[in-house]
Amino acid sequence: MPKIKINGKEVEVPQGSTVIQAFKAAGQDICHYCWHPGLSVAGVCRLCMVQIEGMPRLQIACNTEVKDGMVVNNTSEAVKETVRWGMDFHLINHPLDCPICDQAGECGLQEQYMQFGSYDPEMAEPKVKKHKVVDLGPTVVLDSERCILCSRCVRFTDEVSKTHELGIFNRGDRSEIGVVEGKPLDNNYSLNTVDICPVGALTSKDFRFRQRVWYLKDADSICPGCSTGCNVKVHYNEEGLWRVKPRYNPDVNGYWMCDSGRDTYKFVNVQTRLLAGKIGQRGSWAEKSPAEATRSVAQRLNEVVEQSGPDAVAVVVTGQYTNEEYADLFKFLVQDLKVKNIFHWLNNPEKTTEFDGLLLRGDLNPNTQGLEGAFKANVGKGNWEDLQVGLSGGKIKLALVFGPENQSSFPDIKEKVQMLSQAQSMVWFTACHSADLDEAGCETWQIPLKTYIEKSGSFTNFQGKVQTFKVGTTVVPQALTVSEVCELLAGRDLNWALRPKSLGGAKANYATTHRGAL
Amino acid sequence: MEVKLLSEHYEKPEFQKLEGYKKHGGYQVLSKALKMDPKAIIEEVKASGLRGRGGAGFPTGTKWSFLPANGEPRYLLCNADEGEPGTFKDRLMMERAPHQLIEGMLISAFAIGSKKSYIYIRGEYDYPIAVVRAAIGEAYKAGYLGKNILGSGFDHDMDVYAGAGAYICGEETGMISSLEGLKGQPKLKPPFPAIQGYLRKPTIVNNVETLAAVKYIIRDGAAAYRKYGTEKSAGTKLFSVSGNVVRPGNYEVPLGIPLKTLINDVCGGLRPGRQLKAVIPGGSSAPVLTAEESWKVTMDYEALAQMGSMLGSGAVIVIDDSNNMVDMLSVLMHFYHHESCGQCTPCREGTGWLNKIVHRILHGHGETKDLDLISKVAQQMMGKTICALSDAAAMPAISFVTKFRDEFESHIRKGGHTAQVRGAAHA
Amino acid sequence: MSLVRRPSPAAQWYLPGILAGMWFTFKKMLSNLFNQKKMPTLNYPEEKYQYGPRFKGNHVLTVKKDGSIRCTACMLCATNCPAQCIKITAAESNDPTVEKYPISYEIDILRCVFCGFCEEACPVDAIRMGPEWQTAGLNGAKFTYDIQHLAYRPQLKGGIVSVLDDQERHRAGI
Repeated sequence: MPKIKINGKEVEVPQGSTVIQAFKAAGQDICHYCWHPGLSVAGVCRLCMVQIEGMPRLQIACNTEVKDGMVVNNTSEAVKETVRWGMDFHLINHPLDCPICDQAGECGLQEQYMQFGSYDPEMAEPKVKKHKVVDLGPTVVLDSERCILCSRCVRFTDEVSKTHELGIFNRGDRSEIGVVEGKPLDNNYSLNTVDICPVGALTSKDFRFRQRVWYLKDADSICPGCSTGCNVKVHYNEEGLWRVKPRYNPDVNGYWMCDSGRDTYKFVNVQTRLLAGKIGQRGSWAEKSPAEATRSVAQRLNEVVEQSGPDAVAVVVTGQYTNEEYADLFKFLVQDLKVKNIFHWLNNPEKTTEFDGLLLRGDLNPNTQGLEGAFKANVGKGNWEDLQVGLSGGKIKLALVFGPENQSSFPDIKEKVQMLSQAQSMVWFTACHSADLDEAGCETWQIPLKTYIEKSGSFTNFQGKVQTFKVGTTVVPQALTVSEVCELLAGRDLNWALRPKSLGGAKANYATTHRGAL
Repeated sequence: MEVKLLSEHYEKPEFQKLEGYKKHGGYQVLSKALKMDPKAIIEEVKASGLRGRGGAGFPTGTKWSFLPANGEPRYLLCNADEGEPGTFKDRLMMERAPHQLIEGMLISAFAIGSKKSYIYIRGEYDYPIAVVRAAIGEAYKAGYLGKNILGSGFDHDMDVYAGAGAYICGEETGMISSLEGLKGQPKLKPPFPAIQGYLRKPTIVNNVETLAAVKYIIRDGAAAYRKYGTEKSAGTKLFSVSGNVVRPGNYEVPLGIPLKTLINDVCGGLRPGRQLKAVIPGGSSAPVLTAEESWKVTMDYEALAQMGSMLGSGAVIVIDDSNNMVDMLSVLMHFYHHESCGQCTPCREGTGWLNKIVHRILHGHGETKDLDLISKVAQQMMGKTICALSDAAAMPAISFVTKFRDEFESHIRKGGHTAQVRGAAHA
Repeated sequence: MSLVRRPSPAAQWYLPGILAGMWFTFKKMLSNLFNQKKMPTLNYPEEKYQYGPRFKGNHVLTVKKDGSIRCTACMLCATNCPAQCIKITAAESNDPTVEKYPISYEIDILRCVFCGFCEEACPVDAIRMGPEWQTAGLNGAKFTYDIQHLAYRPQLKGGIVSVLDDQERHRAGI
C-alpha cells in the first residue's frame, strides 16, 4: 500500500490506484469532468491537473498511478491558474442558458465553476452553434451545445451496457455526440447516461422540465423493481415522487440501475394509490377509512375461524413486503390463528432465474428470498392446485390476499381476482387501485397499504443480502403497513398520533391552499 | 553543400522498380543485416545518433530499446502520414525509392523482432500509395517479404494502410487508433506504444526517413554516418524548402548546416529585390524565426531549440517581405482549428478561439489587447493535452504575435487589409 | 406586581377635546366646500391617482414579436418569490427554436406582496410589474391570474413585447 502526501495530508491507498482516487480518499477537492469511478479513464477534460514533486509539467491525476512517497498538490498557483483556464475552455462555447437548462442546480459546470473557476471571461467571439433537442431514443434527449464532450456517456455504452449506441462525431469544436448509424439509444440502462452527464446535455424524457431540481428532496431507499435490490435515492417534493436515481453500493449495483427500476416511483404517487378502504363488489363499493375497514375484516375473520376453523381461510402472499412485515404476518397467521393454507403468489415463475447480465433479474419482487425464509421458518408453502380445489369445493370461505404493491410487474392480477372470487369473500391488501379488482365478483375488501418509500424495514435480495431502509416520505398517511394490519386484525389499536403528515399530491396552486389567516 | 546519401539515386526513374534498385546495391544491406545479431543492429543505430525525423527528434535506438524483452508479438509502423504543412520529403522518398523504405523497415523489423509492419500513408498521396503497394508486391515475389526471407528464417509481412487525411493521424497514437479502425484520436500516455500500442501490443512507430536511414547506418556503420552532422544531431536530413526562394524543393544536407547556406547556396537565395522577413524552420508548428535569427541559426536540433524553435520535420518555409504575417497566422490557425481532433478541451476550444480572434484581426475588427489574449490563450494550451497538437497550434501563435507584434498592431490600426498587401500575399 | 397608573384628574375632562375636534372638522368641511381646488384628497373612483412609471402594480407577462409568450418557464421567479404565489408548469414546446415554455403560469394575487423580486429574477424580461393597481373584485372574483389574464388581458392591447429577442441573440452569437 503506497503512502502519498496530498496537499500536505498523508493518505494510504491500494496499489494501482490513481492520484485522483487518492484525492477522493484523502477528502481533498479536485476538479474533474470526464473521470468517473465506474468507467475507464479518458483523460480529456484536462481539469484534474496536479503538481507532482519532481515532475516538471503538471500531470492529470486521473491517469497518473500512485507511487510510494509521491508528494502531490493541487493548491499551487500554477495548478489553480490551469484549472481556471481549463474551466474557461469548457465554457467558451457552452450556452449561458442555465435558467432553462434542466441540469441547473445539479450541474457539474455550475458547481465547479463556483469552486475552481470564478474568473472574468474574455471570450468575445460568437459561440459555436450545434444541434439542440436531438432525440437519441425513447428515453433520452440530447442538447449538443451544452455538451462538453467528456465522453462519459459514450464510454458507458461501450463499457457498461456494451450496446455501443453512442459515439462522438466530427472533429474539433464541431464534435457532437450522436447515435451510431441511426440506431437509437434504446437499452434498459440508457438513463444512466443522464445520471453521469455532468452537464445538461443528456436529459431524461421522463423527468425533463417537470421539476426544477432545487425543489426536490431526496431519500435513500431500495429499488423494489426486482430481486437485485439496487440502492437508490428517491427524489420527491410536496407534490409527490419525481424520479429514482442509483446510489453507490459496490456489493449490489455499483453506480448503476436499470431504466425499469426508475419507473418504480410512479405507482407511489397519489394518482394511482388506493386512498381509502373499499367494501363491496362489482358495481357497488362503499368507502371506509382503512382502519375501520380492517376492523370489519377482523370481525369476518373471527366469524369464519369460529364457524369453520382456520382451514377455511386461505392466505395469498406476494414477495413485495419487508422481512419485518412477513415476520408479523406469519406470527399472526400461523401462531395465533393456526392458518395452514398460505400460498406464494409468484408473478412470473418461468422467468425467475433470468438475468440480463448486468442488474435486472427475472424475479420482479424485491423480497422473494425474505418470503421464502418466512415460509421455511413457519409453515410449508401451499400448493396452488390445493387452493383451486379448496376454492371450487367451497371449503375456503375467506381469502386474504397480500397483493402486489407494484402492479405493473404482475400481469396475472385479473386471473387471480377471478380465481379467488370463488371464495365467499376475499380481502385484498394492496397499495394501488386496480380496475380488475373493482370487477371482483364476490364480497371484497380493498385495504390500502403503504409502499416501500413510506415504511421502514428490510429486503433480502437474491444474494441473501439483507438491506434495510427507512421511511423516506409519506404519500398516503392513512394507508397501513402489513404489520399494522396484523395488529388491527388481532383486535388491537394503533397509535394514530404517530402518523406522518401527507404530501398532499399535485394541487392547482400549492400556495393557494396554504393561505393561512389571510 | 548537398550530400546525397539517401537521395543518391532519386533522380533515376529505374530506382523505383526492384530491378533498378538492385542494380544500385538494393537489398544487399538486408542480407548483411539478417546475418547480424538483432541487438547489435540496435546498438549500431544507437551509436549512430540517429534521431526521429518525423518531428520530435527522439533517439531511434533508445526508442527501440524500450520494447519489453518478452516473446509478445510486436509491430513496426511506418509513419508516412506526412501532414505537417510545408513537409513533402516522405512523398518524394516513397515515390522515388519505395524499396529503400522497405529495406530499411525490414532491417528495423528484424532488429526489434517484429513479424508484421504497416506503412500508414496519408490518403491524399494516391501516387505514393500505388508505388509502395507495387513495390511491396515486387518484394513478396522476389522473396524479400513473406516466410523465411533470404533463407534466414526471419518471417515478415508488410501492408500499406491509406489514411483518410487527418493531420492528427500523423501523431503516433492517433495513427495507431486509426490503424485499429477507430476514430483517429491520440491515446492517453502512459502506456506508451512501445509497451502497449497497436492492438495493445508493443509497437514502434518511425518516420519514413528514419527507417530509410537505418539502411545506410547498417551499410556504412555508425561511425561513417556520424561523419555527417554535429555531435548531437548526427547524419543527413532531407529539408523540404518552400516559400519565397528561387529553387524550392527537397534537399538532403548534413544537419548543422547554417540556414543561410541552405537558403542562399542550396536553394538559390531569395527572389531578386526581396528581403527575408521570417523563416519557419521545422514545419508549421515550429515557432517562427525572424530574419536576424534566421541568418544566425544552424539547422540542427540543439541550435534551433536554443532559438526557441525546433527542427520538426525539416520543412523550411521561407517568408519574404511580400507577405503579411497576419495572413500567414490566420492560415495556420484555420488549419489547426480544422485539424484538432476534439478530444481534449484546451485544444478543441482553444484552437477555435485562436482562429476566431486571428480572423477577427485579419478582417479589421481587432483590438491591440487581442494580441495579449492570443498569447494568454496559447500559453494555456501548451503542455496541457494528450498530444502535441495543442502545442503545435499555440507555439506559432505565440511566436507570431510576439516577434511580429508591430506588424499585427499596424494591421489592427489600419483596420484590416489594404488592397495592396492583400494582393501581394497571394502573388 | 403590576402597577396601574390612573389618568390624572385633568385628563378626565374629555368634553373640551371632543368639542375642539368637532370644531376642526367643521372648519375643514366649510373650507373644502368653498375652496374645492385646494382639497388634498381625491374623489375615488371617479378620479384616480397617476403613479410614476416605475410603480410596481399587477404583473404583466410579456410576449415575443409573434405574440407568443416570452416566458421560458425557468421558474426563477417562482423560486425567488418570498410569498410563494407563483406556480408554473413547464412543457416541451412544439416550436424547434423554443425549448421549454409555460403550459400554465398562475399568480395568486391575494398572496402577492408586490415586492418585484420576480421581475428582478427574470433573465429574459418575461415578467414585469405593470402600472395597474386596482386589484379589487367582488366576492367570488378570480384572484389567481392565469396566462390569459397576465399576458393578454384587454388593458394590454395584445400584449407587451419583451426587450429580449431570441432570434436577435442567436444572430449575435450569444
